[in-house]
Parts: sequence; structure tokens; C-alpha cells
Amino acid sequence: MELRVIEKTDAELRMEIAGEDHTFMNVLKGALLETPGVTAATYDMNPEQSGGQTEPILSIKTEEGTDPLDAVGDASRRVQDLADDFVTAFDAAA
Amino acid sequence: MVADFEVEFIERDDRNARFLVRGASPAFANGIRRAMIADVPTFSIDTVRFVENSSVMFDEMIGLRLGLVPLTTPLDDFEVGETVTLALDVEGPGTAYSGDIETSDDLVEPADDNIPIIELKEQQRIELEADAVLDTGREHAKHQGGVAVGYRHLQRVEVVGDAGEFDEGEPNILRGVIETEDGELVATDEFDHDLAERYPGKELAVHDVPGAFVFHVETDGSFSVEELVTRAAESIGARAAELETKVAV
Repeated sequence: MELRVIEKTDAELRMEIAGEDHTFMNVLKGALLETPGVTAATYDMNPEQSGGQTEPILSIKTEEGTDPLDAVGDASRRVQDLADDFVTAFDAAA
Repeated sequence: MVADFEVEFIERDDRNARFLVRGASPAFANGIRRAMIADVPTFSIDTVRFVENSSVMFDEMIGLRLGLVPLTTPLDDFEVGETVTLALDVEGPGTAYSGDIETSDDLVEPADDNIPIIELKEQQRIELEADAVLDTGREHAKHQGGVAVGYRHLQRVEVVGDAGEFDEGEPNILRGVIETEDGELVATDEFDHDLAERYPGKELAVHDVPGAFVFHVETDGSFSVEELVTRAAESIGARAAELETKVAV
């Protein structure tokens, strides 16, 4: 996973997350949308054959007072908690 | 606890299971499914050194077939990229089966013994040494641990009334798992996938249950279903942990 910030202001962030695909990006986007202070979150990814930008680009907008990078940090924390809770629940049933 | 997951098994054996997950978002369910297919590594033969091949097939074709033989994969003992050497030596007449493959490490051996590799006639012989490498399905489909992985919504069936007395008794086909009004989970193959079989003469309403996903997971024998599901969830968590540390810098 290689990060490259393309554009960053106090309320907006565009960042390339190289080496990831829909598997992780969609989960991350879902978590971002549930993170307080985030007004918009999406990612764009092009197929291998398109020849242009093929690594996913994450774009987010935040409310005043929330740093977009912190929001990404919070969302990744949430994804980890989700994964841990899922494993716990699964192990309990198995 | 950020989400209240509830997991319940409907069908279960070593390689094949059906379980219900409640409380998951579609994004998370799909993430787990994709991770099971592409991100949990398994061993598969990747390099073959032929000592003799007097069979009717080219070395490359035998190599392809060997690559498709599932090998048991103890993920606690190996890292991605590590290799294990295997060997095969069979003389015709007879068929070379996956069970004839000798291994240098008992932890990594063919998951099934009865996969035919090639039929050998009189005077034909095959002798080779092969390296199996641990890698992910993203790299090559032969490394996929999950061979049939998917999910459906749980469907709730409610009886809303009696069917008209002179209605045609048409079948009402539904596949997957239903939840009855008593909260019981029933796989549809128990009533031949036909709701008219289970609720004869009734008028029914069927709804998707939000946030409830019925996963069907089948592995190729490399490891158990539990191992596959757990590793998939952990791989998502590990990537999120990596992102969190990188963003914090």
C-alpha cells in the first residue's frame, strides 16, 4: 500500500492508494461515510486496460473542524474494529 | 463493539458451509467475499523440472494440470512466497493421480488423492520435481482457496392469507435460505425450492431482510471454511491497520 496525496485542503482530500482494489476501497468508503464529520466520500478506479490512472483514488470532503486525513484514520480504525468483531462473532458460532 | 454481528451456521462441514451474518453492511459483506476469493493464499505448483516425460502431452500441459491440484496449506507455518518441493514418478500402463505426488513436507500434500493427471500407456513414463509456492488468487486463479464463495440476502416469508379457492397451484420458486414467521431458518432445498410445497394454499409475502447475508462458502480443500473466512476478515483488518499507521505519519 503506497499513499500519494494529490490535493489537500482543510476540508478536502484526494489521495492515491496504490496497490489496493475494490476489496478494500469499498469497505473503506463505506466506513468513511459512517464516520462523523465526513460529508462525502468516494473512490475512483479504472480497469487495467484503460491505460491511464489505474490505481484507486480516494476523494473525501469533510465538515469544518475535521481534518480529512484524521477522518481516514478514524475510518481505518473502524474497519479494523469491524473485522475484529466479525472474527469474534464468527468464532463464537463456529 | 462497533457493530453487532450475529453469525449462525445453517449447513456445515469441512469444505462446505452456509452461514448467516446479521448486522453487516453490503460493503463489508462484499469485502469479505472478495478477500476470500483473491486474498487468502494457498499453495500451488508453479515450477516443474522434468526428468522424463514420454507421455503423449507436452511438459507445459502437464505443468498446467499439476498447478490445478489443490494442496493443503497450513497458513500458520508459511509466508507468502515460500516454496515446498514435490515429486511425481509414475510408469505406464496406468494413470498418474494426484495421490502419487510425493511431498518433502507432510504439511503440504495434495488435498485429494483421486485427481487424474495423465493416462500413461505401455512404455510411457513421467518423472518430475516441482516447486509449490504460496501465493494469492489475485496472482493466479490456481491459488484461490475459495472455489465457490457468494452470498444472498436472507428472505423472510410471511403468510398473508389464503390463496383463492380456484387459483392455479403454480410453483413459487425461491433459492437460498428463508426465515419463517417463527424466526426459524430453513434452507430452500428442504422443500425443493418451492414455497408452494411448504405453504400449500397460502398467499405469501417475501421480503429481503436488511443487513442479513447468507454466505455460501466452499473451499478447494487447502484449508477449512473457518480458516478461509477468518483469514479473509483478518486481511481486511490488516490493510486498514496499515492505512491507519501510514495516515498518522
